[in-house]
Amino acid sequence: MIAARAPRRIELLQWFGLFGGAAAWTLQHAALFAVAVARCNSGSAQWGIDATAWKLGLTIGAAVVAAGAELAAGVTWMRTRGAAESEAPPRGRLHFFSLCALVGNVLFLGAILLDGVGSLYWHPCGQA
Amino acid sequence: MSAATEAVAVERRRVAHPNGWWGIAIFCASEAMLFGLLLATYYYLRFRATQWPPPGVPEPKVALPLILTAVLVSSSVPVALAARAARAGRVRVAQVALAVALAAQATYFGLQIHLFLDDLAKFTPQQGAYGSAYYTLVGAHHTHVAVGLLLDAWLLLRLAGGLTTYRVNGLLATAFYWHFVNALAVLVVLTQVSPSL
Amino acid sequence: MAAIDVLPPRARERVDRLERIWAERPGLLGWLTTVDHKRIGLLYFFTSLAFFGAGGVEALLMRTQLAAPNSHLLSPNAYDQAMTMHGITMIFLFVIPMTTGAFGNYLVPLMIGARDMAFPRLNALGFWLFLGSGLFIYSAVFAGIAPDAGWFDYVPLALRRFDPGLNIDFYALGLIFNGVASTLASINFIATIFKLRAPGMSLNRMPLFCFAILAVSFSLVFALPALTLDCVLLELQRRLQFHFFDVGGGGSPLLWQHLFWFFGHPEVYIIVLPAFGIATSIIPTFAKHRMIAFPLVAIAELLVAFIGFGVWAHHMFATGLPLATLVIFAAASMLVVIPSTIQIFAWTATVMMGRPEFRAPLLFIGGFITFFVIGGLSGIMFAAIPFDQATTDTYFVVAHFHFIIFGAAVFPILGGMYYWFPKVTGRMYNEPVAQASFWLSFVGTSLTFFPMHVVGLLGMPRRVYTYDSGLGWDAYNLSETVGAFLLTAGLLLIFGNLVWGRFRGAYAGSDPFFGGTLEWATTSPPPPYNFAVIPKVTSPYPNWDRQDRTEDRPRLEEGVLTLETGHETPASTVIDGALDEIVRMPSESIWPFALALFVALVFVALLFAHYAVAGFLAVAALLAVAAWNAEEPETA
Repeated sequence: MIAARAPRRIELLQWFGLFGGAAAWTLQHAALFAVAVARCNSGSAQWGIDATAWKLGLTIGAAVVAAGAELAAGVTWMRTRGAAESEAPPRGRLHFFSLCALVGNVLFLGAILLDGVGSLYWHPCGQA
Repeated sequence: MSAATEAVAVERRRVAHPNGWWGIAIFCASEAMLFGLLLATYYYLRFRATQWPPPGVPEPKVALPLILTAVLVSSSVPVALAARAARAGRVRVAQVALAVALAAQATYFGLQIHLFLDDLAKFTPQQGAYGSAYYTLVGAHHTHVAVGLLLDAWLLLRLAGGLTTYRVNGLLATAFYWHFVNALAVLVVLTQVSPSL
Repeated sequence: MAAIDVLPPRARERVDRLERIWAERPGLLGWLTTVDHKRIGLLYFFTSLAFFGAGGVEALLMRTQLAAPNSHLLSPNAYDQAMTMHGITMIFLFVIPMTTGAFGNYLVPLMIGARDMAFPRLNALGFWLFLGSGLFIYSAVFAGIAPDAGWFDYVPLALRRFDPGLNIDFYALGLIFNGVASTLASINFIATIFKLRAPGMSLNRMPLFCFAILAVSFSLVFALPALTLDCVLLELQRRLQFHFFDVGGGGSPLLWQHLFWFFGHPEVYIIVLPAFGIATSIIPTFAKHRMIAFPLVAIAELLVAFIGFGVWAHHMFATGLPLATLVIFAAASMLVVIPSTIQIFAWTATVMMGRPEFRAPLLFIGGFITFFVIGGLSGIMFAAIPFDQATTDTYFVVAHFHFIIFGAAVFPILGGMYYWFPKVTGRMYNEPVAQASFWLSFVGTSLTFFPMHVVGLLGMPRRVYTYDSGLGWDAYNLSETVGAFLLTAGLLLIFGNLVWGRFRGAYAGSDPFFGGTLEWATTSPPPPYNFAVIPKVTSPYPNWDRQDRTEDRPRLEEGVLTLETGHETPASTVIDGALDEIVRMPSESIWPFALALFVALVFVALLFAHYAVAGFLAVAALLAVAAWNAEEPETA
């Protein structure tokens, strides 16, 4: 029923480019929130979570993935250079998604770094 | 061409998932979000509590819930077999596989309801956040299993009347639903027993 | 495609067969059993318009009460109900059903070259459930016990202890009910946009309006569960004394807020994204130029929706939460502006690069961009936590979100009403009156909402039923009320123009504005089967590809993708739009209406705590589902 052929490498690059940055930021953002809540709540504070280590790890990890996604998007874009905006798939669609990913991943990388820097700098549990 | 032959021909020719598959997939995405938030609520309340469960409430059993969940998860196998058989036009095989799955799932459900009532005799949701979160999480999961049982029963009834593309799509959608519920069951049971781990 | 009535015999035969197969019953029963996306779109349109009127009355009641200090036109409790119902009505019963249910339903199948939505009966169910939820909530208004704790319904005010009546139960159950309708509609949109696009319409060739609806639908699917869960937990606490929100029981009032705003922030993007879609449809047509940076606009729609899920706690900056938990929300809130800004630049560039014709629809989009920039600027200011904490719960916030909701969501809706009016009715509105109605609405909106920035910075709190004189707020409040009535006049002028146009307007033909998308490639109004031949698509502006459209004629003759032997539409692969199978569509059915009726009764039974009755009705509902499923889409 579903086509059984293995996806070409450029397809994988395109999908990673499109979703990699978004997935990385989502995980980092949610995990940073969980770490902060865990650190600043009476019940969970006693679990001894090393918040700084988690924040650093999450941020660096997410940044690496997002940068990788941007690279993948760049490669896809270069390989489909010259494709018209509304060209027939797969070339037109690959080019379209790679362009979307190139812009999106810049945004996600910025979000990951801003989230990371902010959460590392503003670490006290005092009221905002 | 009979409806069954036509259904098989459609299945062979088609490349993408049918509309109904997408419908149930997106529905399950919505339910996944619901459970994600329910789990987040459980942990949010847990983070605030210095004792979880609170004093006077017994720690959850570990072995029995895990074993029961394993039984439920294994029902994904006959469900998948039923879907594959239906796509190939083998109605009898599909019916038997679905019936086997239903039997396993119904047994799971019956035993879980017994455990649920057993728990209720020991601690109630009205006693505090632990009980409220516990029974809401577990209750929501059991509700989803119950819906799955109804889907199984209805499909068995319809398949008795033969195969059509619509019924094959229905079975594929139900199969997806069960795989989703079973995966969720693992997360729910791990959370449920986590205070004892 | 030109007039259908001048056709060679073989083509005529095919069209006749399509007319026969796709015709629906006439009369009331026809409306109760319809599964035609256009008729369902019209049902949504008029219903949400009625709720817009109700919400508007609530607004005028509030504005009249606030026109002068120390006014006692409305009692505090009456004001609370008006304020709460205004929010609930406008958001859940007007904007979302209007943009998704009316505009989305009517236009998406047409724009993608399909014959209907992927799940026609589910579509009908969505409407009847929406209507049921609206009637359910409004019965509280007529009984004088409308929800009164704000549309955000914060605990502990919303708990039994402080609000013991049925008001809040109407709220919680009503929103769960409404949420089911929206979720089903979203599932339908996603499946339709994924599977039913005309062969050749790969995702990079899909109209931007459809990208907007796709973004909205995914947002609804992932955001509504938070609201549903919140309301379920609230009812469990109110009715069965569970403990989620009370500190004494180990809960937290902030749990309500986290879950509510996890839904609530994506909700505001849900409100505004379809409006972006309408703007991106109107601009290319009247600028006579393809959208600049098309891929960036498409991804910006999805990025706004996606990042919007990560900013919810910026609604909680003043709740006393630790800075450590809030800082990432400030970060994300600053970045979420960027995709919207990309779109604004793209829209403006398109108008500047084209040869714009400032007819009424484009004027409303001009108003939209103006209000969106102002509202966006005040919005980004809230990302700075200290500023937010100073202006929380003041009228500055009210100014911001009304510039966005009214300016950026309603103005495109009004522009869209004018734009697609000729397509839906086959007649044209009056252009000079339409332009006047724009200016009146624009002035009214500005006068109503701009002074709120000032009076908010002067310290006027929101959600108050009156205020003292001598605080310097009087003149601003009075001018806001005057503005509200001017705006009302503008809106009445719009509707008057449309009603006049419906009965007396000139005949419009299939493509009066030379639009680029496929709805303009068929008659006005479209036939029940939308297209006699499924159009060949090679770009996002298929109606501007005249070569492709000329090819439709011989294809109709030859019967290529006319699918007139049954109630059928083609289904394609999700990413690249390659033809995959021919899907049989269901015909009219009473089961969506019947099921919605049973579900409504379940909610009524739950409201009055008759749980056994609710259970019995739920069984009846399940039987209705079984009867529905037993009616399989017919073979030719």
